[in-house]
Amino acid sequence: MAEVRLVDIEKKYGAFLAVPQQSLTIHDGEFLVLLGPSGCGKTTTMRMIAGLEDITSGDIMIKGERVNDKPPKDRDIAMVFQNYGLYPHMTVRQNIEYPLKLRGVDKATRKARVQETAAKVELDALLDRRPSELSGGQRQRVALARAIVRTPSIFLMDEPLSNLDAKLRVTMRAELKHLHHELGVTTVYVTHDQMEAMTLANRVAVMREGRIVQLDTPKKIYAEPADLFVAGFIGSPSMNLIDGVVKGGVFRADGVEIPVPLGDRDGVVLGIRPEEIDITQDAGAPISGKLYALELTGESTLVTLRNGPSSVCARGHADFEAEIDSPCYLAPKDEARIHLFDRASGERLG
Amino acid sequence: MKDRLLPYWLLIPAFMIVLATTIYPLAYSFITSFRAWDLTKSRRPEGFVGIDNYIYATGESQFLNSLWVTFIFVITSVILTVILAMALALLLRRKGPMHTFTRIILILPFAMSPALIGVSYRFMFNPEFGVIANGLGAVFPALQGVPWLADPQLAMGILVLTDVWHWTPYMTFMCLGGLASIPRETEEAARIDGASNLRIIFGIILPQMRGVILVMAVLKTIFALKMFDQVVTLTGGGPGTSTETLAYFIFNVGFRWFDMGYASALAWILTAIMMFISIWYVRMLLSERKMATA
Ligand SMILES: Nc1ncnc2c1ncn2[C@@H]1O[C@H](COP(=O)(O)OP(=O)(O)OP(=O)(O)O)[C@@H](O)[C@H]1O
Ligand SMILES: [Mg+2]
Repeated sequence: MAEVRLVDIEKKYGAFLAVPQQSLTIHDGEFLVLLGPSGCGKTTTMRMIAGLEDITSGDIMIKGERVNDKPPKDRDIAMVFQNYGLYPHMTVRQNIEYPLKLRGVDKATRKARVQETAAKVELDALLDRRPSELSGGQRQRVALARAIVRTPSIFLMDEPLSNLDAKLRVTMRAELKHLHHELGVTTVYVTHDQMEAMTLANRVAVMREGRIVQLDTPKKIYAEPADLFVAGFIGSPSMNLIDGVVKGGVFRADGVEIPVPLGDRDGVVLGIRPEEIDITQDAGAPISGKLYALELTGESTLVTLRNGPSSVCARGHADFEAEIDSPCYLAPKDEARIHLFDRASGERLG
Repeated sequence: MKDRLLPYWLLIPAFMIVLATTIYPLAYSFITSFRAWDLTKSRRPEGFVGIDNYIYATGESQFLNSLWVTFIFVITSVILTVILAMALALLLRRKGPMHTFTRIILILPFAMSPALIGVSYRFMFNPEFGVIANGLGAVFPALQGVPWLADPQLAMGILVLTDVWHWTPYMTFMCLGGLASIPRETEEAARIDGASNLRIIFGIILPQMRGVILVMAVLKTIFALKMFDQVVTLTGGGPGTSTETLAYFIFNVGFRWFDMGYASALAWILTAIMMFISIWYVRMLLSERKMATA
């Protein structure tokens, strides 16, 4: 168990600034998710914590101790690599066993631990195969097993579930959540699946171009995105972002007129999540337009309305039916759940 | 119909050239190996003698000596070259400031002709004016005046040395290529799992280099079996017959004693040894492929 602190760390590859100077504290026993689009520096950040990548400047502290110059093996971490990093000349069993072997665990314990861990990731039947004889998802589970076979002070997991099918992913997610509950090991977890981030994290760090743009609980990030980028990135389907202006206390765009607590200004983006919108028959509703598309997702129907450049999606009842191109009216459920951003800077307003 | 046959027609000239330059001499020497042919007496092969030439070889001490010399030479030079090349590659794989420079320096010995290497080493080990002989003598007085190339064991040692010196750079480059193809993460994972540097080299890197090492060992073995130039220019097979390799002995039989039938038989024995090693190698490689392609 350990607290990890990144103090003013910065990473440059030659002249390219991969991670600009910033700080981040990961609390003892916390499950922190790094979430962000491809190439935003998630893996780089993780490799710096692991000690696989030199940091250009700043300090990394683990358990209050500066570890900048400590080799990876002395940092007491276990890591799942994005591209697995399995040992090709060893069987699945040997792969999983290797960390235990290196730490001098006796043979009987090793055997029991390997069995137990393999069962957790549903690999029991494949223990005698080599990595080359496994599918991508199976390899990924070996990588996961190799990390969780030991109880280190810190887990670093770089997209450990990205190659699994939907069903297995949900199972493994629950398994990881349980494991974290059971062991309480500080975990840094990289993903670009926001569902994974939401369900697993104590806190989520949303990254963009190397910078952490918001660090908060999943709930808070979902309810109060710090800027346009986070607003658009979190949530599926993503938040409706409507370009318009505020005049006389009302936000206006084609077919949209919603009262907002904001002074007159141009270049405003109004954000509202599909599930925060009701579908009504009231012709005087704040949002009006023509029905553009209906998508049944199973538990609900996504209703998309268009009016000029504005396009608004709402989550309606699964039984909702209407003609395409027929007039359609939407109303926000709760004014408090409306977000306003500045178009130019992306910053949250009000 | 005509179009489909055209490629084959076009291949005929190339095929003829191959036939004339390799297949024909090979077949001819194979047949010759079953005949008596003393070049001093006859310009054409004489009568067939069955496998007499081969049987004669099994009892001839000079042939058996050359076989033994070749064996010692091949084993030591292959093992030394492969180990040295691997070690150098492990040192050189990280891109340091001298990266390009070291690589250029490295390729120089391989660019030298083996015959020239033999001559230059012969001079360098001359007890009277050789650079190396004098240098060693100056640093270690006990080595003053050692007749390097006149001592059977030392001569063999120097022969191996020149060969290792010649081949190590090339093999180092092969190793570097192999090392570059190992996924970086396997080493990093081991590092995190707690493996020491030595353990990473022997437990993670070398097992993944098996295929490359196998190719290197076989290539080097075949080249060492054929090694000829340095024997001629460095030791001339001596002192005595202590560095007389099979290739050099075959040359002597054919072009000093002009016994072409016997020389052909010996050449085919050498070919058979090389073929045997190649086949063994292909089989190893196939099983290797099956085992480790991640
Ligand atoms: N060794 C390197 N040399 C130069 N640039 C690098 C190197 N490794 C990563 N980068 C750059 O640093 C940036 C961050 O890379 P990183 O691998 O951390 O992204 P990521 O967030 O993990 O992306 P993904 O989700 O695709 O895995 C990228 O722009 C990448 O091109
Ligand atoms: Mg990554």
